[in-house]
Amino acid sequence: MFERFTQSARQAVVLAHGVAERLGADHVGAEHVLVGAVLVPGPAADALTRLGTGPDALEAAVRSLPAGAIDADALAFVGIDLDSVRAQVEATFGPGALDDDPGSRGRRRSGRAFDGQAKKLLQLSLREAIAYKSNRIDTGHLLLAAVRAPDSPAHRALLAVGVTPDQVRDAVVATWAGAAS
Amino acid sequence: MLTDMSDDLMTAAAGDDPREGLLAVHSLRVLADRLEALHVERARGLGWSWEQIAAVLGVSRQAVHKKFGKRFR
Repeated sequence: MFERFTQSARQAVVLAHGVAERLGADHVGAEHVLVGAVLVPGPAADALTRLGTGPDALEAAVRSLPAGAIDADALAFVGIDLDSVRAQVEATFGPGALDDDPGSRGRRRSGRAFDGQAKKLLQLSLREAIAYKSNRIDTGHLLLAAVRAPDSPAHRALLAVGVTPDQVRDAVVATWAGAAS
Repeated sequence: MLTDMSDDLMTAAAGDDPREGLLAVHSLRVLADRLEALHVERARGLGWSWEQIAAVLGVSRQAVHKKFGKRFR
């Protein structure tokens, strides 16, 4: 699939590793690929500029995503006392059991790999290229892929900077049209 | 005056702000995922089969194996 990627889309995927490292993540997620895609000059960066935002705002949004965090106040809202849950869990599994994502242990050993959401995003970018009858996958297709997967952190980061999926789609299409003319 | 305003804000947040409810749902999911992984790992360690674990979780053996098979053998 990567042979279809444009030079800048390839660069975006490489940059995603650096973004993940900078944000202290132990894996490369869809949100890191998204930030990588808008960091390199290309359709994704231009589309975000059209929408009045950019890579810095997006990276800040990714940084403040509630990913993986258990929010005690939010749970209190539905009547759950996180402290007593924690006490119960630690009685069986030891101190800190709830803070450490047990599933990530195996992944950490193998280094910073792409997680499922990131792989999904790359697959969706191919689908976007096909939908827009393009032989190449550019950063615009990566950005469109991020808005297509509604449950991914990449999608949530875009919403957090205040852009809707429709706006992103329109901006990318307008950017392509502008580049073609 | 200032305290009145923050009281109002608190009431609004606890009452009808969808964001609070959605954050609660998100935290519940993360909490449930962590608990599930911890208990599956422990059950495997105690010699439970994937079938036994799946039956209690109310999912298929394939589903539970796909989710945890690589992590906990």
